[in-house]
Order: sequence, then C-alpha cells, then structure tokens
Amino acid sequence: MTAWVTDFAPTTAELNSCVACGLCLPHCPTFRLTGLESASPRGRIAAMKGVAEGVLDLDADFEEAMTFCLNCRACEAVCPSMVPFGRAMEGARAEITAQRPTARRRLRHLLLGRLLSNRGLVGLATDGVRVMQRLGVSRILPGRLGRGLRGLRPLRPVRAPALNGSGPTIGLLVGCVMNKWFSGVNTAAVELLTRAGYRVAIPGEQTCCGALVVHDGGIDEGRRLAAINIRAFDNVDRVVATAAGCSAHLKSYGKVISEGAQIAAGAADITQVIAELIASGKLPTLAADSGDVVLHDPCHLRHAQRSTEPPRQILRAAGYHVIDADPEGLCCGAAGIYSLLRPATSRELGTRLANLIDDRGELVATSNPGCEMQIRSHLDRGYRIAHPIELYLEAIRSSG
Amino acid sequence: MIDELRAALDSDRVMESKLELHLYGRDAGVYRGNPSVVAIPETTEEVVEIVKIAGRHEAPVVARGAGTGLAAGAVPTEGGVVLVTTRMNQIHEIDPVKRTAWVGPGVINLDLSHAAAPYGLYFAPDPSSQAACTVGGNIANNSGGPHCLAEGSTVNHVLALEVVLPDGTLEVIGSEAPDPIGLDLRGVMVGSEGTLGIVTRALVKLTPIAPDIRTLLCSFSSISDAAETVSGVIARGVVPAALEMMDQRIVEAVENWLHAGLPTHAAAILLAEVVGETAAVEAEADLIAEVARANKALEISVAAGEDERALLWKCRKSAFGAVAQAAPNYYLHDTVVPRTRLVETMNKVYEIGRRHDLLMMNVFHAGDGNLHPLMMFDASEPGMIEKVQAAADELVEVCVKAGGALSGEHGIGREKRDLMPLMFNTADLDAQARIKETFDPFGRFNPGKILPAGSRCFDQSGALPPGAWV
Repeated sequence: MTAWVTDFAPTTAELNSCVACGLCLPHCPTFRLTGLESASPRGRIAAMKGVAEGVLDLDADFEEAMTFCLNCRACEAVCPSMVPFGRAMEGARAEITAQRPTARRRLRHLLLGRLLSNRGLVGLATDGVRVMQRLGVSRILPGRLGRGLRGLRPLRPVRAPALNGSGPTIGLLVGCVMNKWFSGVNTAAVELLTRAGYRVAIPGEQTCCGALVVHDGGIDEGRRLAAINIRAFDNVDRVVATAAGCSAHLKSYGKVISEGAQIAAGAADITQVIAELIASGKLPTLAADSGDVVLHDPCHLRHAQRSTEPPRQILRAAGYHVIDADPEGLCCGAAGIYSLLRPATSRELGTRLANLIDDRGELVATSNPGCEMQIRSHLDRGYRIAHPIELYLEAIRSSG
Repeated sequence: MIDELRAALDSDRVMESKLELHLYGRDAGVYRGNPSVVAIPETTEEVVEIVKIAGRHEAPVVARGAGTGLAAGAVPTEGGVVLVTTRMNQIHEIDPVKRTAWVGPGVINLDLSHAAAPYGLYFAPDPSSQAACTVGGNIANNSGGPHCLAEGSTVNHVLALEVVLPDGTLEVIGSEAPDPIGLDLRGVMVGSEGTLGIVTRALVKLTPIAPDIRTLLCSFSSISDAAETVSGVIARGVVPAALEMMDQRIVEAVENWLHAGLPTHAAAILLAEVVGETAAVEAEADLIAEVARANKALEISVAAGEDERALLWKCRKSAFGAVAQAAPNYYLHDTVVPRTRLVETMNKVYEIGRRHDLLMMNVFHAGDGNLHPLMMFDASEPGMIEKVQAAADELVEVCVKAGGALSGEHGIGREKRDLMPLMFNTADLDAQARIKETFDPFGRFNPGKILPAGSRCFDQSGALPPGAWV
C-alpha cells in the first residue's frame, strides 16, 4: 500500500538508499541555520519514507519540511550512499502538488510553465524592467521588490547572434530568463564556440528548460516543456546551456520523461565545454595577469553536476587568480524561485555569502543567473559580477 | 508539560508534531523510540528549565546531538523529552596558549578543528562521523576514531564539564588543572551516554598539528597478512597515529563512490598514518613498509600530498555510508579484541556471516583491535531483524571470549545493554548501578540504557511496601 499517487513519486529504491548516517547534515544550509532534523536531508528522506510506509501523513507538516528545502543538492554530493536526493525531492513535491492542490501553486506553475516559455511575455516584462531601471525605481521600491530589481543586470537590447562555422553542431539552450536578461553570456558562448570551430544552432522552437517548475513540483508543465525542447534540439550533436540550473536539469531529462534520456546524455554546461576546448588547445590560454576574481560555484554546477574545475580552468586561462567565495559551498539562497517563496531564509543565506565575498575581492564570477542576481542584490555597489566565459572572452579581446 | 516547555523556550523550539516526533525517534542505528515532545534549548538556563519541567512531570529526558550514534544512545526508547543540543553550537573561547577551548555541546567535531586550525591546533578525537557529530555526543560516548590509537579517546581530551544533573542543579566537574582536587568525576561523566548528566559546556584540550605526516596504503591478498602486519608494526615499537583496515567488499563500495583508485582486487587494505618531525616520520613510514613487505603486501604506496591523503581518509570515513549500495540496511557492530587475536576473530566473524547467510563487511581500527563488522540486510524481509540480532549477539560473544570488550567507542546505549553481563558480573553491574542511582535516583536521564534491568543486586525500582526488608 503506497501513499503516493503520481508516477514521479520518490521510489522505494531511492528512499532505501539512505542509511541515515547523517554525514549530509553539516552540508545542508537549512540544517545549518536551524539545527532541526526536519530541515536536514536525512530528516526529509525519513519523512518521505514515513509517508511512503503510511506511518506519516502527507500533511501540512510534510509540505513545510519539503518546501523549506532549497534543493541545492549539497547533500547529494557528499552522500557516500549516493542517495539521489534532488530527484526524490522533486518527486515528493510533485506528490504535494497532486495531493494538496492550492490555487496559488496552480497559478505559480502556470506562470512558470507558460510565462517563462513565452518569449513575447518575457520580452514585455523585460521592457518594463528596463524602463524601471532607467527611472531608478529600485531605490524607492520596498524591500523584496527593490532588492530583486537591484539584482538584475542593466539590461541591454538583445541582438540575435550570427551563426557561422561548419564543425559539429552544438545546440545552445539560450534559457528563458537567460536570453533576455543575461544576453551577454549567450553572446560570449556563441563567439567562443564559433572560434573553436563549432557550428552553433539556436533553434527558435526551444523553450524554458522547465527546471524551475519541476523543482516546484510542477511535473506536468515540466514534461510539456521537456517534450518541446527534445523536438527542438532533435538535429544537434549535443545541447549546451549557459545557466547551471538549466544544464543540470537538461542532464536529468531522462528522469523527467523517458524520451529525454538521449538529450540528457549529451547535455553539458557551457563552462564544461569551454574548459575542454581550452584543455585541448582549441581556445587559448592567456599569459596575462588579470588580477583576482572571487568565484561562487552555483549549487547546480558544484553539487548537482559535481563540476568545480571548469569555471576555475576558464578563469585561470583568462589570467585570473581564483579565490573561492565560500569553501563550504553553501547555497547563496537564490535557489530558483525559493528567494520569492521564502525571502527570510533566502536573505539570511544571501547576506552570509555577501559577507564572505566582501572579505575577498571586488570582481565576482558565477555561472547561474539566479546566483548572480542574488549576490548582486546583497552586495553594495562597486562590485562587478560576471559569468566566467564573459571574463574569458574579454581577456582574449584585450590581449589582442 | 508541553505548555510549560513552551513558556520556558520559544514555542517554535518545542515540537510535538507527528512528523517531528517520528524523525527524533531514531538515530543512525536500527532502534526506534517514541518521544512525547522535542525541545531545542539554546542556553544552559533553558536546559535547566527543561530538566526541571520534565522532572515535575516524571518524564524521561534523552539528550541528543547530531543523531549519528549507532547504539541507540539518543533514541528515546522509553518516551519522554528529546533534548536536542544542535543549537548550543557556540565555540565560546579558544585559548591558543593553554591549548584549550570552551565549547557548547552542539559544536560539530570538525568545526572545532577548523576553528582551531589558525592556531596550529585541532581537536584530536576523530570519529568517522566527525564532519557531522557533536562534541557533546563525543563526550557522551567517549568517542574514539582512527587516530585514538596514538592520541587516546575523548576522555583524554576533556578537562572540565558544565553539566545539568537530573534534579536540575548545575555543576562544573573538573577544572583547567590536569589533576583536579578531590574525586575526579570526569571519567564518570565521559561515556555515561546522557544517563548521569547533560553537558552544557565543555573545556576540551586542543592538540598541536604535527609538523609532518605520512599516510601509507598497503594492500594484501589475505586478511591475515594484513592483520599480521598490524601486530608486527606495533611489536616493532611503533605506534602509528592511525592503523586502519578495510576488507574487499568495503573497498569496492567506497571505490564505486569516490573513484580514488583503491585496489579493489586486494582482500584487505591497510591505511597507516605516522605523524611527527620529518626524520621520525620517514623512519617510521619505512619501518611500516618493511613489515608490510615481510607480510607479503601486494602494493605499498605513500600519499603524495595533502589532497591524496585527504582522499584516502575520505574513503575510510565514508565507508559506513557507502555500504547502502549493497543493501538498504546495515547493522554496524563495535567490539574490541586483543590485537594478537585479530586473525582468528576475523575468521570467526566471516564464519558467523556465512552461517546466518548475511553479507559481512569489515572496516575497522586495526591498530587497537577495535572491530566494526557490518552486516548487510533488508529490514523489510520478515524475520530479518531477529536473524541479524542473533548474529550480532554471537559476534559480541566471540569477541568478549577472545578477551576483548563489548564496545570500542560507539557506546552501549540500548543496543548492547543486555549483553553487559557478558563482560560484568553482578557485583560489577551493581557498582555501576549505584553510581547511576547516586546521580539519578529516579531514573530520569536516558532510562533503559547501558545497564540491563536488575543490575542493582537488590533492585528497588519496583514498588516495595514501606518497611519491606530486602
């Protein structure tokens, strides 16, 4: 007898892989903040197990324990039993969506699933934000809104990148938010990949990867988006994303829908591809001394993909001396839409990271838009935050 | 009682939801309990309040740190209040000159070492769970770890303890002096598993980080070659900082996770570490290699740098967690045998596994004969728990008969309570029960742990009519 109702629920094998050793506890940001078992990865798995076995109810307490999680997956990276925590958590949240329906969550999934996948609407929102930035509205907006607006980059008009080259084809997942608000990163990706001899395809039919909505338990919307992308990228050799959250989610497409296994197997983060190209000499290693840069590892690169070297290799190739923002690797608190749903916890983690960065330097690199916005909104003015490949491209240009 | 606790603490630090009670009903081991409430104090005063309130309501109090224990020491087997120390996690003071630190019980073991590192110091007890477990839990269980071979276990690193006693009084036991005046009660409190008092602050010793270090990895085609090497090294007068053995099954599980390049073809590997001045360290490393070669070692290598060394230790310390790849549940035992009888005991351990049809894995502190046999099983199979328990009892008996001990470092808790008579006669148990009675006459602190029922020769816990004569 199982308490689950969806085909995306945590599986018995996933839950049984936890032996409750507790080695995950100190790596969990919410456990660090609260000291509570229910705010720890081990506790959350035990709660899922309790529900699965019918010992616990899928009630408000369960929902609270699941939604307090940032899904940063730091626990997964340190787990000797290799518990697929992120997958199980997405499953538990899909169950909450199915069994505890609320109008608010339905609306949220609709917004995440439909608005972000609609370029026109994102464009409209972008124009609105651009006007607000021009007017300096962030200074007069209250708390959360003002902080959110301050976290954004000054928006530049988006130009469609030119397509050249004749080598293997990389399909660039430009990202729902990324392409409008972080277009400089996509532009840099196209230029670097083209320089290295790749043909870069940016299929027009592509859509939001669906990470945000799946993390929030919206598996139906998530599957719809995944199916669109699988069709859109049918003809490319591999799909590369410029946001760590997107590349991590692409790599889990096989778990989202069965047709997703192929795209997942070839998916990569842009930092991984560029680092490979630098290592193989297809992109240059510069002799320049570019100074210090403080690097923040996005959780969905560091933990979900266990990938820490590529951004460092890129920055070193650009002549930078890399300083770790946070050796402990705790989440910055952005965590997708977590910063909107749980502003207090998000702020606590954001402030913690900002203080660490503050002690270390003024140029910051990170490779996920959510982290970038979070860091910018918690730091004072005078800091620059950029994607490692942007800094690398700039270094190449200035070295002639 | 819950209302009173809410009045004494912030209400959100007193929890009684079904979910929270379920989660705090267990630790990292196999036993389960049902607490009636969970309280999360932040100060010594709050601990005093909780103890007094529970006392008025005659409720047991079970102290818990990170819940990484394996012997059910922190499992509320008789219900009551689970008192969680994770928020008492302040490092109050580090004195680099005296090499001491005052810490809260909820400070994570490794956090203390990290905080002490800038002064060239660290906290020596290093249980495998050190990244997660708390100093309070280390004190409760007198925890050891790979490096207790040379450095001693937690009791050797505690100078003073601020404790709340079962009647709610606050005492400081011990002092900064290594040999306090009067009865030295630290040894009574350390390892008492929360049955005598609840530590709210501890003054611990910090140890200087050694100037140089060598970590050797030796592999063998048989367990006995590895075990002979262990005895051989110590017989030659070298006490390495750590001397650890992992059998093939364990190595495979760990390697599958970390891809550290451990030799999965070997029947056993030994991890040996020596620390000290460079010249001494090199001489000792050479001697260990020589003994290993004499015992037919397949490969001997020295960790090339700090990263490689850290990786080797990560392999060793994550071993328990990694075994879940083999089966959903494990039962990890903690017993001790004299080093000289390692080989025969190991053979018996595997034999018990075969006889009960249980996959047996071994990873342990070979240097001090502290065995950690793991039995792998699936608890959902009917009758499995009983089978595992029977095999476990046999294991302990084998070790005790070989002249060993019930527990090396994990504590007795509930797990080994009923095996205590294997080690202690009625007079021994009675003496221990008298100590418990002196501190906790009403049996409030962590009842049902360590001492089996009837330990007191003339057990008066039952209701005797007034004037009865026993």
